[in-house]
Amino acid sequence: MSAVSRPAAGIQTVRFFARFTIGQRWEHTILIITFTALALTGLVQKYRTWPISQQVLATPEAVMTVRNIHHVFAVLLMLQVVYHLGRAVYLLAKRRMSAAMFPTWQDVRDAAQMIKYLFFLSAKQPRFGKYNFEQKFTYWFLFFGIGIMVVTGFIIWFPVQVASFLPGGVIPAAKLAHSTEAVVAVIFVVIWHFYHVHLQRLNLSMFTGRLNEDVMREYHPAEYERLTGQPASGASGEEESGGQV
Amino acid sequence: MAKPDAPFRYLALIALAGLIGAAALALATPALAAPPASGDVSSPPAQETEAYCLSCHGKADLSMTLLSGESLSLYVSRETLDASVHSPLGIECQACHTGIKTYPHPAISYADRRELSRSYYLACQKCHSDNYDKSQDSMHARVAEAGNLTAPVCTNCHGAHDVRPPDQPRAHISETCGQCHTQIVAQYKNSIHGSALIEQDNPDVPVCTDCHGVHSIQDPRTAQFRIGTPELCAGCHADAELMGKYGLSTDVYNLYNISWHGVDVTVYKANWPTIWHESAVCTDCHGVHDILPTGNPASKVNPANLLATCRQCHPDAGPNWTGAWTGHNRISPERTPFLFAVERFYSTFTTAVLWLSVIYVVLQIVRAVAGRVRRSLR
Repeated sequence: MSAVSRPAAGIQTVRFFARFTIGQRWEHTILIITFTALALTGLVQKYRTWPISQQVLATPEAVMTVRNIHHVFAVLLMLQVVYHLGRAVYLLAKRRMSAAMFPTWQDVRDAAQMIKYLFFLSAKQPRFGKYNFEQKFTYWFLFFGIGIMVVTGFIIWFPVQVASFLPGGVIPAAKLAHSTEAVVAVIFVVIWHFYHVHLQRLNLSMFTGRLNEDVMREYHPAEYERLTGQPASGASGEEESGGQV
Repeated sequence: MAKPDAPFRYLALIALAGLIGAAALALATPALAAPPASGDVSSPPAQETEAYCLSCHGKADLSMTLLSGESLSLYVSRETLDASVHSPLGIECQACHTGIKTYPHPAISYADRRELSRSYYLACQKCHSDNYDKSQDSMHARVAEAGNLTAPVCTNCHGAHDVRPPDQPRAHISETCGQCHTQIVAQYKNSIHGSALIEQDNPDVPVCTDCHGVHSIQDPRTAQFRIGTPELCAGCHADAELMGKYGLSTDVYNLYNISWHGVDVTVYKANWPTIWHESAVCTDCHGVHDILPTGNPASKVNPANLLATCRQCHPDAGPNWTGAWTGHNRISPERTPFLFAVERFYSTFTTAVLWLSVIYVVLQIVRAVAGRVRRSLR
């Protein structure tokens, strides 16, 4: 359905819309690797009595290795954070920072509309821009989550040094926060993020860097209209959802 | 010349009759085989062997010289035996001195008193085989095997002729160990445990054997003993009834187990109990034999001394460091406000993230399925 861009000759011309730069895609790939490695090496330490943890932490040397791996990937992630923030500062300074990822009142209205839609109180889905409120929420949730993990991780990695300028009370608090925030982040990624990018639809734009026209019209109609000046016809009806499989 | 012989012949006959009579008596009671003195053999004492032995060994100056030139007193006082656990129960000399059945006794050839003790204590095994076997598995036995013959045998702790219940009063136990472990017992006497024992005869505080074991005492310097320390202390300090008597918290053990130190120790205990691990156990901070209540200014964990105690392992720790220590206390807004706030936040936040994610995704799925069903029916 909705083959507006398809010529009758059976040859299909698909237009793609650029979504992520190659740099952003690399950042995401590195984040997958560091996040997974940190979560696995961290969680086996947190839940060390689990049988699987016992197998990994089979010897005192293995415990040290797991800790070292955790630290190596922590450093990698921190470098990435520095790059990400550094690039943001650079873009801000050059006044080239995109506003697309920042929360707006439209996101609040979209979320309210989505709730109505989900509770069958409205037949209309919200019409999203480049990033919908779910995606912004994912970004900022992990942005602050990683921030907490980096800061608390540093505190419990170098507790003696940290206590030389901060009150000692931050150490047990950092330990608790690091350990709990990790679980929160994993729950969030597995339930929320995996649903949106794997189950709801397979969204590979973070790897390919682009979205095709159909997907743009269906999931980001406001952005489609902004970019093309054409109406994303019928992109907001409930009959439209799940149109592509 | 026959006449003068006659009175002598009568005397000889009487003497012969006496000897036959004595022999008959001796056969009837073999224990009295060879009376050394010409005492009244017709009325034997009530406790035959003991009284019999004491007829010589009851003399305070009875002694002999061993091969080493060392003098060995052979005196055993009646009072000592009466006060012991054995004699009043009818367990007499020969029960232990199994090798001596006759007089004169078979010769003994011990070089010195120690060799004699180390030989004679084997007799304890006859009745107390269980404790004897345990003691053979002890640190003391191993040290002796390695050549240190001063290591104690049964009689060093329990006594020989004066064996008494070892724990009456309980303070007697620490005195017994203190015969050799002088310095440790001196420390212990000043500790909260030792002073309560000695000053109040407190029945709850540990004496040496409560922590170290009784007969199978093991080396407390091993990794295994170290790693078992928290559980050892928890034996009393996690007992709500016992601690309640003294107003002490029983949270200490559980909270230790989830603390930084405790988690390490728990893992090592479960997996590698023989591998030495430095993470602090109870005694590293509280002391061993010199444990004092936290409020005592001399206590290693008194706030005034806490930093110095931490620095045993964390030499670079600054004055803020002790603020990291929650002191085996549960998280509370008064004591640890920051930690309390973080804990409160996360207990809400984690639950909220989990449930909101699940609910949102479920609603999405329900709505998508409903939409699809509606379209297919159209």
